[in-house]
Amino acid sequence: MSVKGETTMKHLSKIVFGALMAGLSLGASAQAADIVVGFATASSGFMQAYDKPAQDAAMIRIDEINKAGGLLGRQIKVVTADTKTDRAEGAKAGLEVIDKGADLVVVSCDYDFGAPAALAAEAAGKVSFFLCAESVKAGIQGVGPHSFSASVLAAVQGATMVDWSYNKKNARTYYRLLDTWTEYNKGICDGFDYQLPKMKDAKLVGSDTFKNEDASIAAQITRIKSLPKQPDAIMLCSMMPGVVSAIKQIRAAGITSMILNGSGVDGSYWLSATPDLSNFYVPAQGSIYGDDPNKDVTAFNAKYKAATGAEPSSQYVYPGYVLIDVWAKAVARAGTTDADAVTAKLEAMKDEPTLFGPRTFTSELHHQNKGKYLIVDIEKGKPSVVDSWTISDPIPLSYLLK
Amino acid sequence: MTEIIQIIIDALSLGSLYALGALGIALIFGVMRLVNFAHGDTIAFCVFALLWPSIDAAAIVFAGNLPTSLLIPLILLIGAGLSVLSEIIVFRRFRNANPATMMIASFALGFVIRYFLLMLYSSRPKSINLWANLSEPLDLFGARVPLLQVVTVTITLLILGLLTLFLKRSRYGLEMRAAAENFTMARMLGVRANRVIMLAFALSGMLAAATGLILVTQTGTVDIQMGASLMLIAFIATVIGGLGSLTGAVTAGYLIGAASVLMQVVLPFDARPFRDAFVYGAVILTLIWRPNGLFVAKSAKQRV
Amino acid sequence: MTARKSILARTISTPIILTLILLAVAGLSLWVNNGVFTRTIIEVFIRVMIVVGLYTFIGNSGVISFGHIGFMCMGAYATAWFTIPPAMKKYSLRGLPDIISHNQLPFYLSITLATLFAGVFAYIFGKILVRLSGIAGSIATFAMLAMINTVYSNWETVTGATSSIVGIPRKTDLWTGFAGAEVAVIVAYLYAISRSGLALRSARDEAIAAQASGVDIARERLKAFVVSGLILGASGALYAHFLGVLTPDAFYLGLTFISLSMLVVGGMNSLSGAVIGVVVLSAIIELLRTFEKGVTIGSETWSLPHGAQEIAIGAVMIVILIFRPSGLTRNQELTWSGWPSTKLSARTDEPIKDRATEGAGA
Repeated sequence: MSVKGETTMKHLSKIVFGALMAGLSLGASAQAADIVVGFATASSGFMQAYDKPAQDAAMIRIDEINKAGGLLGRQIKVVTADTKTDRAEGAKAGLEVIDKGADLVVVSCDYDFGAPAALAAEAAGKVSFFLCAESVKAGIQGVGPHSFSASVLAAVQGATMVDWSYNKKNARTYYRLLDTWTEYNKGICDGFDYQLPKMKDAKLVGSDTFKNEDASIAAQITRIKSLPKQPDAIMLCSMMPGVVSAIKQIRAAGITSMILNGSGVDGSYWLSATPDLSNFYVPAQGSIYGDDPNKDVTAFNAKYKAATGAEPSSQYVYPGYVLIDVWAKAVARAGTTDADAVTAKLEAMKDEPTLFGPRTFTSELHHQNKGKYLIVDIEKGKPSVVDSWTISDPIPLSYLLK
Repeated sequence: MTEIIQIIIDALSLGSLYALGALGIALIFGVMRLVNFAHGDTIAFCVFALLWPSIDAAAIVFAGNLPTSLLIPLILLIGAGLSVLSEIIVFRRFRNANPATMMIASFALGFVIRYFLLMLYSSRPKSINLWANLSEPLDLFGARVPLLQVVTVTITLLILGLLTLFLKRSRYGLEMRAAAENFTMARMLGVRANRVIMLAFALSGMLAAATGLILVTQTGTVDIQMGASLMLIAFIATVIGGLGSLTGAVTAGYLIGAASVLMQVVLPFDARPFRDAFVYGAVILTLIWRPNGLFVAKSAKQRV
Repeated sequence: MTARKSILARTISTPIILTLILLAVAGLSLWVNNGVFTRTIIEVFIRVMIVVGLYTFIGNSGVISFGHIGFMCMGAYATAWFTIPPAMKKYSLRGLPDIISHNQLPFYLSITLATLFAGVFAYIFGKILVRLSGIAGSIATFAMLAMINTVYSNWETVTGATSSIVGIPRKTDLWTGFAGAEVAVIVAYLYAISRSGLALRSARDEAIAAQASGVDIARERLKAFVVSGLILGASGALYAHFLGVLTPDAFYLGLTFISLSMLVVGGMNSLSGAVIGVVVLSAIIELLRTFEKGVTIGSETWSLPHGAQEIAIGAVMIVILIFRPSGLTRNQELTWSGWPSTKLSARTDEPIKDRATEGAGA
């Protein structure tokens, strides 16, 4: 290219920016009569596999409300922006949906990826809801006074599993295996740590850590095997993808103890990696296997299949439905979508019944520190609901924030 | 006593995995001075080849259902094919470029492969059960060792032996070694550059496939990020071992594996999450002690 | 013989042009006047800081450093420690010393301290690492990045480990970002024309001859390492105040490779290359993202499938490097005579290969 041709390249890039502006200004503005729900979630990148299912469930509830006449007599309109599983993009996605008139900003399933958009919503004075974040930060503590999460805290899962296995399976010796990769994993083990000392005669016989990406946890397994007696239960605080490898290796080493988990391993899609898995327990807010004691859940699964083409792949679909459900109820009670009024109505909810368990919000905690969980047992590679459990006392906020 | 045997076998099997990865990187590095950052993504690609592309949560096992005698050659072929394709389409243009450009090009290529897999399969990790019988424990001097660990070590040593034989005894091996030592001189003596380079890429691709198969059998999971952490350790091992030295890369791979396992066993509970910091600290110390690597070829000495 | 103009007078055109480019970018943001677009532009400015910081070390010394993003991490967390309100710090970051925990510093003071914090560690690490050349040096810097990442990802009481820390006041706006990028360019320029910069570049091109001429390579590298560490610390601090939330995994391999790519695609050995690399690649990424969202032409909406943007940018980088192996600016600086062409600079176009890597055998 000639020297002149090269300098025009610089000018060209500025023209390109101008074209960008044209591109960015698309997006129809909502009619004044519609209520707008904005989804600042991941449609591409890593988080898409987790955000999309919950988002689909949320859309089902929106459809139901619209068909029943709408909210406050108005139809709910949906606008979306892609966070691309990038934090900086996440903040922009939040701003975009707010620009498009969102009254509610729904953000990613994970606190780290949803926080930037939630912070943008908070700064604009809008209510934000995490699709399924299970960290205590997904709410007041990590975002602001108008932020909520639709799921249940990870700590509750850990505490529930200890409580249940102690009371129903007579487990007395426990081994704690923590995957240090994410906050979620640590949350599960925090709940375990909280609950265990409260159980008489229950003993922690050992503790270890590993990294999710470790190809081999042989050293950790050796430690378990060198105990004088195999522990009754192993509390495995881990999540996809590394948890599958850990389970495989634990069973391959001949350790037959009960394995207790968080909800992160719910789902049957990964079971082919560990055929004939048994003595394995998972807490879930609802059963995707068709055997939920509540018939309405099974009906929901069918509705989900009709809408998306496949049954829910894990219980993380359900909080999306609960999110729209409780928000819509609060809006209806407040008579407006104004953030302060809606927040006040949400905080007034105590044991509010939803399709997937009761929900309580207070002015100190916009998350669930107590919850009803179904216990799913996997025997010979087949999952089924065997029990339902709620811990007797909610986990105190002071413990959660330590 | 059984614990010590267990630990030794753990160290050997982790080291073998790292050594295989390091070998794949060292082969190409030796011939082209190129650090192939796409190696980790090649590993992932080979493993994804076992599945039919779908974004469902459950894996649809396609090629993975073939009998072993067909499966292994097929995956090796896919690995070699992808590598050779990258050489023809991308790396050939960078023959005379400086190392930084080649490195960024390989990174960009890895990026493209990874996001291509993401589009086809979604980011959710998939599970597959390959050769389940290998997870059966074996009784070795009292230690219960999964058969897979023994197989990994054996296969790695076998591959090393075959590769060494190939390099030392065959004509192509001789050409590769010559090219690795002094590319220009080798060409002047009649070694065909393209042939040697394509051979290096093909072998590296097959090693990537083998590494991927071992990984997937061990972890049961097929995930886009599978090769990433392995690739980095392999990269470090290649350099610590000595630029372009294959034995060095393998030795360094085993050393890093042993160090990692040792740290996991020896460190007190509170320090265990920092295990990697200690391993990398050891890497820095090794480099300061031996900047040119553990096995330095005579011709690496600088001449003014 | 006429007196030769000082080096400042001869090369001042480069920082002036770069400043004009940065002003044009800021001006574009004002013209478009859209909150989302402005955030994109601020990100571009922060990236300019990062890549210019990388250039200061990599471009002058010839050693590719994978580890500098670690300093960005340190600067970001440092400013977080200083500026998060004490009420929040007391619970989430228990391990901080009282003097930090009970106080909240003003924005500019915090940024300065955070930059110095990163600089101190750059000095400490640099002292150990600058003796290594070539690829050994690169691997050592990579090990350094991994160490920093491991420590920050696990030291719960001080960094919050893998959980995000929140509450950082979001103060980085368009002009703060511009100021940061401008300061980075000026500092990098001043270092490059300084005696140390010249000595380091001579060592980059011909190590033995430079040593024979009395250049203490390790010492000059250390200076460059610290200067670049300071720039990256500052960029980290601005980034923390831009996003408001921090996690250690944002400062690891992803960002490292994207920044290095922008540097190499722009032209590794030139300051202009650093800036041009960021501006051009960012523009292409934004264009691709717009197409992903969908562009309405007439009555049709065209859009790329989701995830196509990343594949496209990877392909674009490879194509640019095929046609311009030494980067868009061909390792030259921008001057008033227009874009660098091959006519004047064929001799210095390709950096001379390091002899030590050429003869190593199997």
